[in-house]
Amino acid sequence: MANRRCLQTVIHHYSTNPFLQPLKTLVPTLQQILTLPNPLSPQTPTPNSLHVFSNLTPIFHPQHKPTCHFSSRRSDNEEEEEEEENDDEEEEEEEEGSEEDDDDEGVSAASNSGVKREYTAEEKEEAAAAIGYKVIGPLQRSERVFKPYEPVFAVVQIGSHQFKVSNGDSIFTERLKFCEVNEKKVKELSFLANLILNRVLMLGSQSQTIIGRPILPDAAVHAVVEEHALDAKVIIFKKKRRKNYRRTKGHRQELTKLRITDIQGIEKPEPVPTNKPEKTAVKKLEKTSVKKPEKVAVAV
Amino acid sequence: MALRGAWQLQKLIVSYCDWGGSSRGIRAFMESNLPAFKENNPQLEVVTELIRGQHPHLKGLYKNKNQRVVCVKNLTQDDILLHATRLRNALGRKVVKLKTRHVTKHPSVQGTWTTDLKVEA
Repeated sequence: MANRRCLQTVIHHYSTNPFLQPLKTLVPTLQQILTLPNPLSPQTPTPNSLHVFSNLTPIFHPQHKPTCHFSSRRSDNEEEEEEEENDDEEEEEEEEGSEEDDDDEGVSAASNSGVKREYTAEEKEEAAAAIGYKVIGPLQRSERVFKPYEPVFAVVQIGSHQFKVSNGDSIFTERLKFCEVNEKKVKELSFLANLILNRVLMLGSQSQTIIGRPILPDAAVHAVVEEHALDAKVIIFKKKRRKNYRRTKGHRQELTKLRITDIQGIEKPEPVPTNKPEKTAVKKLEKTSVKKPEKVAVAV
Repeated sequence: MALRGAWQLQKLIVSYCDWGGSSRGIRAFMESNLPAFKENNPQLEVVTELIRGQHPHLKGLYKNKNQRVVCVKNLTQDDILLHATRLRNALGRKVVKLKTRHVTKHPSVQGTWTTDLKVEA
C-alpha cells in the first residue's frame, strides 16, 4: 500500500509538472501497473484500467489541496487572527489529521482553541434558521410587547421540539445561541433579546384552523428570551454486574425560557371589550357570529 | 434574565481573599472583567467583599428574595465571568426538575378534546 501511494504521488507530480511533459507519455503505462495489483479490479486490463484511473484522480486531491490551504492559511493567521474557517477546510483537516505532521496539527489546535469562536452575522443567521428562529435584536423598553391573552394558538418547531403555544405562554427550549443581551445597547435601556420563530406548522383560532405543509411561510410567532438557565441535575449511572464497574456522571442541560408575545398570520377575533359584566354575553355572541364556514381555510 | 421586562438579579456580591491562592482567578476577574460587567449591567448592584482566609464565592440576591451562591475557588477569570453571567441570566427560581417544558394558563383554544367529540368532516 505504501509503495503504491509513493507511485501515485510520483505520477501525480509528473503529470502536474509542466517541465516534465515528455514523461507524460509514461504516465498511462504506470497507471496500468498501478491498477494491476489492485485486488478489487477485474483482471481484464484495458477498459477497466481507464475506469480505475478516473477513480484514482479524486484520491489525489486531499493529499495536495490542504497543503496549499495550510500554507495560505498560515499567512492569513499571521495577518489577522480572526480569520474565518470554512467547513470544508475543517473536514479536510480531520481527514488529514493522521497524515499531516505535528506541525500542522499544532496550527489547527491553535486556531480552534480560541476562547470563543467568532461567528459572522450570516453564519449566526444560518445556524439560527436551521433551528427555526431569527434574532431581531434587543427590545426597546418603550415597546409594549406583553399583551393580554388572545384566543389563538400556533404550533411551532424549535430544533426538534414542537410546542403548541398561544400568547403569553412560556416554553423551555434547548439553549438558543446568539440571543444574549446585546451588551453595548444595554446602556440605551434596551434589553431582552427579541425573537421570531418562523417554523410555524399550524395556526388556529376558535373558528379557523390553518395547517401548513409542512410550514406556513408567512406566519410568525414572536417571542422574548427570559432566561438562560441550567436544568436540574441528571445523574448518569453506569454499572456492570459482578465486574466492579461503576461510573457516575452528572449533567445539567442548558435551557432557554421563552415567552410568546405575539402570533401573526391569522386573523384574531376582536378583543373582548373592557367592561367586565358584559364579558360572558359578548363572548357567546362572538362565538356564534364568527363561526362561518367560509372562513375555514384548511390548506391540506 | 428578566421576567416580563424586569431584571430579577438585584445584587451581586463578589467575595474574595486578597492572600489565598484559590482567589487568584477572582482577583484577576475583579481587575479586568468586573468593571466592564458593572458597566454593561447598570441595573445591577455589584458589591465586592473581602473575606480573608476563605475561598471566594459569588452570591446573587434575587428579586424574589432567593439567593444563589456559587463557589469559584481555583477558577480562571473566564469561568468566573461565565458564572456571573449565569447568575445574571437566571430568574432566581428554585432549581427543580421541570414537569413540563410548556407552561400556559390557557391550555385550550378550540375546546378540550373528549371522547364523544364529533368532528364534522
